[in-house]
Amino acid sequence: EKMPAYKVYYFNARGRAEPTRLLLAAAGVPFEDVRFEVEKWPEYKPKMPMGQAPVLEVDGTMICQSAAMARFVARETGRAGKTNLELAKADMIVDGVADLMNAMANYHYYEPDEARKAEKKKTFFETTLPQFLGHFEKLLVANNGGDGFFAGDGLTHAETFFLCLYESISKENPNVLNAFPKLTALVERIRTYPGIKEWLAKRPQTEF
Amino acid sequence: MPTYKLTYFKHWGRAGFLRLLFAAGGIEYEDVRIEREMWPELKPKTPMGQIPTLEVDGTTICQSKAIGRLIAKEAGLAGRTPLEEAQADMIVDGLTDIELKLADFFVEKDETIKQEKKKKFAEETLPVSLGMFEKLASSGGHFVGDALTWADVELFSVVYFLKHEFPGDPLKGYVNLTKVTDNVMSNPGIAQWMEKETAK
Repeated sequence: EKMPAYKVYYFNARGRAEPTRLLLAAAGVPFEDVRFEVEKWPEYKPKMPMGQAPVLEVDGTMICQSAAMARFVARETGRAGKTNLELAKADMIVDGVADLMNAMANYHYYEPDEARKAEKKKTFFETTLPQFLGHFEKLLVANNGGDGFFAGDGLTHAETFFLCLYESISKENPNVLNAFPKLTALVERIRTYPGIKEWLAKRPQTEF
Repeated sequence: MPTYKLTYFKHWGRAGFLRLLFAAGGIEYEDVRIEREMWPELKPKTPMGQIPTLEVDGTTICQSKAIGRLIAKEAGLAGRTPLEEAQADMIVDGLTDIELKLADFFVEKDETIKQEKKKKFAEETLPVSLGMFEKLASSGGHFVGDALTWADVELFSVVYFLKHEFPGDPLKGYVNLTKVTDNVMSNPGIAQWMEKETAK
């Protein structure tokens, strides 16, 4: 069976496209990594299903929304858990991570007042984030002791989303996972995963 | 068949949609609705300090859309192919964005800011969103293929919120979206559920 042609459309950033790129890399699936400059976005926007990026194009069909994209690739490449329940366990981690990424975007991009921005950022790093990392650590441990993955016995989109979160939060605070040994080990497990390891070394290096 | 226990507050909130999915699929479940006062005690027992949660055969799932997808699959409403599933997922996520914007003014405590946000939502945000989803829905009233999916049910749920916040028919003028909600109400399980639910 012929492998579909994959294209990922996004800005030149990791952002919301990287969880999908990581899964394609993990599966050794070639894809066209389309990155456009911000000024070019108005040309691409009307072609996107919901006027947003990232978008995954699969043999001409366009899928948007970062979790939907990642889940599709995860499924197609056998990294979405073995049952619907395992998928749900991966999905809930992805949703929790997405909530945190939205909170970060909220203070970073959408809060114009500098004082409120600093306040929100402080609350995020001192309260919200540690709380959720605690939940994630516990959930990881609940899955066969925590020395594997979030769902089932393999890497899923939960891991690629989590790595992306880690890359953002650790820039701000390199010690952010000090209190969470299993999550710390998981990050290394993801980074050294075949396919992902090579991608991390060769991907464009961008700030976000 | 697994045993399901859904836990949430009494109101529609993030679980109304899930109760609709159970109804659409004719799936039995325990519909636990807690009083606000019970929440502080329950919170630390949940996976991420939030509800709704779904207990399935000893495992607890949280995050309303993760739960929704699981029930949708059980009910045969998730899409018929992997691509259809992805299309349903993206529509659900896009509609969830509307829910979040609704929530943004709903939870605003400052009354003046609240009214400003609500006005902006009604006059700017919502027409743009509904216009986009009108184009994504088919004239037959489906977001994915030509059969009911949980994406259609999610629109129905969003409209439920809109009706509670704004006067009149939020889908007036949106022919395709109106057909979607009509199709949702044609599902016998959902029709029966809504009758029961709104009679309270």
